[in-house]
Amino acid sequence: MTMSSSRCPCRPYPGAGSLAAALLAFALPASAVPFRYAEDLAPGIVHPLYTTTMAEARISELVFDGLYTDDPQLASTPGLALSAGLSPDGREMTVRLREDVTWHDGAPFTARDVVFTIQAMKDASTLSTESGRVAWIDQAVLVDAHTVRLVFRQPERRPEDKLHFKILPAHLFPETPIRRTGTFRHRPVGTGPYKVISFNEDNSITMRAVSGEGDPAGLAEVAMREVSDKNYQAKLLLYESLEALVRVLPRDLAVLQNHRKVELYPYQTNSWWYLGFNLDRTPYDEPSVRQAIAALIDIDALLAPIGTGDVVSGPYVPSSPYCNHQVPRFEHQPSQADALLSEAGFVKEARTWTRNGQPLRLKVVSHRTLESSQEVVINLQSQLREAGIGVEPEFLDDASWKARIWRERDYDLVLSQWTFDRSEDVYDQFHSSGTRNFTGYANPEVDTLLEKARTTTDPQVKKTALREVHRLVHDDVPMVFLWTLDSYAAFSSRVHNVVIHPFYFFTWVQNWRME
Amino acid sequence: MTLAAASLERRPPRTNARSLLVALGRLVSAFLLTLAGAILAMQMLLHLAPGDPVDLVPGGEQVRSVLEAEWGLDTPLVARWGRYLARAATGDLGTSLTWRPGAPVAGLVLPATARSLGLALPAVGLALVLGTLLAWATAGRPSRRRRMVQVLSIAPVFLLAFVTVNVLNEAAWILLERGLIARPSWFALPDTESGVKTVLAIVVLAVGSGSLAEVHAAVEDEIVRIRNAPFVDAARARGAPLAPHVLRSLVPPLVTLTANRTAFFVGGLVVIEKILLLNGAGAMLWQACIARDAPLAMGLALVAAAVVCAARLLGDIVRLSVDPRLREPRP
Repeated sequence: MTMSSSRCPCRPYPGAGSLAAALLAFALPASAVPFRYAEDLAPGIVHPLYTTTMAEARISELVFDGLYTDDPQLASTPGLALSAGLSPDGREMTVRLREDVTWHDGAPFTARDVVFTIQAMKDASTLSTESGRVAWIDQAVLVDAHTVRLVFRQPERRPEDKLHFKILPAHLFPETPIRRTGTFRHRPVGTGPYKVISFNEDNSITMRAVSGEGDPAGLAEVAMREVSDKNYQAKLLLYESLEALVRVLPRDLAVLQNHRKVELYPYQTNSWWYLGFNLDRTPYDEPSVRQAIAALIDIDALLAPIGTGDVVSGPYVPSSPYCNHQVPRFEHQPSQADALLSEAGFVKEARTWTRNGQPLRLKVVSHRTLESSQEVVINLQSQLREAGIGVEPEFLDDASWKARIWRERDYDLVLSQWTFDRSEDVYDQFHSSGTRNFTGYANPEVDTLLEKARTTTDPQVKKTALREVHRLVHDDVPMVFLWTLDSYAAFSSRVHNVVIHPFYFFTWVQNWRME
Repeated sequence: MTLAAASLERRPPRTNARSLLVALGRLVSAFLLTLAGAILAMQMLLHLAPGDPVDLVPGGEQVRSVLEAEWGLDTPLVARWGRYLARAATGDLGTSLTWRPGAPVAGLVLPATARSLGLALPAVGLALVLGTLLAWATAGRPSRRRRMVQVLSIAPVFLLAFVTVNVLNEAAWILLERGLIARPSWFALPDTESGVKTVLAIVVLAVGSGSLAEVHAAVEDEIVRIRNAPFVDAARARGAPLAPHVLRSLVPPLVTLTANRTAFFVGGLVVIEKILLLNGAGAMLWQACIARDAPLAMGLALVAAAVVCAARLLGDIVRLSVDPRLREPRP
């Protein structure tokens, strides 16, 4: 397929009156234009076992396939799998694989690839960020060239929902463990609809549709462009230098939504913002102090300047089946906050809350790249200062963030957001042994419920357990739950048939069309 | 007084092979010491910054000791520095840890440096030519033009680039929308790779952040000084043309100025490459520091120091070749 952009008519400038026009008129030959989308930061590597950013997850979605994928209703549907049978006890699954699939280098896709990928992810020395996705699989057994048997640690009810991880080509790796520094990082080979053609000098990545894959009327070429300055992204879309923005900044919404050459696509993400306390620090180890601070924050006033969204009351967004709708959101109640602080032994002197002569001051830390975090922190500072609490804001880069928040735990309050995939598993965030539980939250009842939710095969039991988790975590206030933002992707009006996956974005890219 | 000039001026009246070797030895030693110092400075900066490369590896905390041993982060800073120098002396700059994991640093740094030199060298040349021409026009005259140069040049590089990009884009877009022009090949900045973007980077680098004003002011002072020098008076009395005398006398100060400004231009590359999305050594250094990628950052520091030293060395050689006074022994 040859694609051409619908530029405005190339009518030569008629007169010699405008020097500017003459200087600007370096004509572009009418050539095929790929589908270009912008990322803030290009992936350092393209390797599904080491995905750490959404930019990397999106590229992996284009290049690699999993045994199962999502259909537009977000139900699991076979990808590389052809069919599967679950044993009556739910402990084994025999998966028949498609025989018509080849890797981008021409090698046939076989069951060995599936077994190898699971073994590689499970190998601790691989240091895969995705190892948790296969922790529930005890064994992957090769049955024949296109059949694999998976043995689970616990009975599973719908294992296909967890078999979305991407499969690697075994023939390109000598053995496990896999190294993230291996050559595969910049020569990725998948079975996905697009193959990587080049990593370019300007950090862009060019991918081309695999011949024979999908509808030939689809996008022939996809180019990931690194546009690190967010100020330019919306402009480049308007100027037809890009075909898509993955996420529109709230400040650009007004300009884009009224533009005739741009279409906005709202999509739901399983992500929510929060202000997390350092529960090992005095006085934030006291629930009444945390509740008081939560009651001093006007969440709506923090949200209004940065966009629209729903205020969340706990660790599940309102659209989640695990959200407990009986739980009220945190309300702005200054008088209740004053009472709680007084109960906790604080007194208000010269418009500042103090205890034992020490003023109540919060070191509020946020990640530098978190969009709109500066507006939120500055408004929060203003709100709390007005209420008699000092705020010391700090914005950190990635390395400082990991060191300060995760390793040294040097903060009082952290502004951040969590994004979840379809499993919405908050175990790591709120279980006392969770790997992402940086606040230091520990509640034995929550631990038990989270463990129950992970092991049960009964969806109703899981739902009940997690709704209770939602309530308990809200009541303990390890964090002030803020909001889930409405997300919009922006596309050039030349792109049609767009349906966006809320997490992986490109899952249904084969249906997209460009004029 | 630059190092090479000082070394050569200290030689005995009768030049011999030994003294030349000593002078060359001093130059090479100073060159190597500067490189070693630049690497140490970069290493210390990364060491003092919060966080380390292990923090940027997903799940790195669980295997911190393994990665620290593998990457040599478990030894004291000085030992790491010594080991890096020993390896660098053999041409091995190591591999990138976090930014492009596993990629050889030399393979990343050298093409990026070539791209950056393609901006910095023309920018230096343009600043000199423009500064000299403007100085020639303004020397000894009322200062309004001088102030105009200063006002234009005082704008920081990032602001000048940002404004220029937006003005060019908007102008082109208006003309495009009205069908007055075909879509320019460079449109829209800074996304599209084109000669216009490169030229824009060179011009902004040459003019912005006071570069042009400084060159202009320095050259103008020199021109005024030279025009009032006795040998120019003598030439004037003989009726000989003055320009060749003045221009020849301008070469040494221009060369010194160029050598001194090189470090400044190398620094400016970080800003201009980030803004115009040019993937040179400056933008790479920024990314390497953000990613705490010590081998990559040190490789870039090494090359940047080498470029600055080479510029100074070249400056000294040119000055010695054009100014006979520097070749004469001191009394």
